[in-house]
Amino acid sequence: MNREQTRNAEVGTRNKNDRLRALNAPHRVEVELDTNSLPIGMRDEGCGMQRSVEAIGEVWRIDDEWWRMPIRRRYVEAILEGGKRVVLFEDLTTGAWWMQKPA
Amino acid sequence: MSLVFGIYSGPTYYPTMPKTPHLTSESAACCWMPLFALRSELARRPELASHPVALVAPDTARTPRVWQVVPLARHAGVKPGMTVSQAIGLCPALKLCEPDPVHYDEQFEQLIAALAVVSPVVEPVELGRVFVGTDGLEGLYGGPEEIVEAIKRGTRKWERGTGERSSSPCSAFRVPRFAFRVGWGRGKFVSWVAATRAKPGAAVIVPVGGEAKFLASQPLAVLPLDPDTHRRLQQLGVKTLGALVALPEEAVVSQFGGPGRRLWRLAAGLVSEPVVGRVVPEPIVAALTFFTPVGERDLLAHALDKLVDRALGDPRRSGWRVQVVRVRAELEHGASWLVTATLKDPSATREHIAAPLKTQLERSPPVGAVERLVVEFTAFAPGTAELQLFAHDASAAARAGRRRALQGAAREIALRIRRPMLYHVIEVQPWSRLPERRYALIDYEP
Repeated sequence: MNREQTRNAEVGTRNKNDRLRALNAPHRVEVELDTNSLPIGMRDEGCGMQRSVEAIGEVWRIDDEWWRMPIRRRYVEAILEGGKRVVLFEDLTTGAWWMQKPA
Repeated sequence: MSLVFGIYSGPTYYPTMPKTPHLTSESAACCWMPLFALRSELARRPELASHPVALVAPDTARTPRVWQVVPLARHAGVKPGMTVSQAIGLCPALKLCEPDPVHYDEQFEQLIAALAVVSPVVEPVELGRVFVGTDGLEGLYGGPEEIVEAIKRGTRKWERGTGERSSSPCSAFRVPRFAFRVGWGRGKFVSWVAATRAKPGAAVIVPVGGEAKFLASQPLAVLPLDPDTHRRLQQLGVKTLGALVALPEEAVVSQFGGPGRRLWRLAAGLVSEPVVGRVVPEPIVAALTFFTPVGERDLLAHALDKLVDRALGDPRRSGWRVQVVRVRAELEHGASWLVTATLKDPSATREHIAAPLKTQLERSPPVGAVERLVVEFTAFAPGTAELQLFAHDASAAARAGRRRALQGAAREIALRIRRPMLYHVIEVQPWSRLPERRYALIDYEP
């Protein structure tokens, strides 16, 4: 799978070659960070949601596929205002933030 | 191929399979005896009463592990789940008992029979724990107190039958004369929690309407929680069901999802699961007594095939698929071996029925040579029309019927919406560390 196909799969678009659609695909969000690089607010332009982060749960890191196109992610479990739980991750290669588990 | 020599007994001819409707009851009594298997063992071997005793788990033949432990052994550090060698290291005087699941099962069946005299709605859950439906018993016995007394009389009758002796001052495992705890309330959860709060031989009754008050003071551990949820609730400072109910229901749901709603409603006493009486058809039995005890697994597997074939040939089985199959083995030196398999897809073919039994035979074989092997079909599902007219494999016929229904529904959706809206979830890389790589959707084309 090349980078374009990977990105398509990750954002949930249809891959016409194999007719597969990824489940639990991440989507882009804007994240405001504190001095420790932990989220204190997030904005999802797709659904127009803007929330502050009330608490941070677990933080973990995934480093994978270093042998072809390295994937480096820092995952953060966050509780948003109102009590919703989301899982965000920072793509450590590009610096972009994604939400894996939709609110 | 190995040959099996033995004496065959059963099946007996019965012209029709009895059909019994499910009976349910909103009000429930829970009868609970912790360490049922160990107590059954000590009841028939009273000479062990003054020793530290542990029962070996029945399904751990390769690495024997401790299953149930008397308090004297527990004080020496022996805990359930330990390997036998660890347990003996901690308590050299430990007396280990080989499990006899057939005996425990028989004892439990006798208890259920004793309770069935009190109420026709009896739902066994596990060894030593039974729910009794009590709706409509008021006319026979009176109020909840009298109904509970009638149930306690039933359990005492059973306890006398086991020959269990009253505890003596020197007994290591002080078996009370009547060790059953009874809880009564609306629904199974409330009655179970009440039983856990009762003293041995005593009962706790939760009046109708008083569920929330009773549950409020109970610890969180009475809820069916997974360890992660339990830890998170503890971190939130929630230690009792009352503290959980004090949180808004929607907040609990947003934290813990659908299961959170069920937990909240259980804790609030809003869920009332009825007791469902079990359907007890006459089992179809096929047995084989070996001339000499047999230890070879190949031979046992072959004997299993033969017995399953014979049981399938019983005229009562015609038009029915087997849902639950049980194998009992009587071993040398009085021990036994018991395996029960519930088939997800009820079947009428030997291969499907025998497969889980053979898997179990490989995974945790009998601990000794087998003297007698018995196959029992204990629960059945109706066969399809195709089965009764043509098919030998009822599950295949049922699958074909489901597929036809799906094809019809998919065609109708395609006609109405004009684009594919039905998908299969398929595994892509289920081992992947990246969540989006594990599963995918693909068009469903029946």
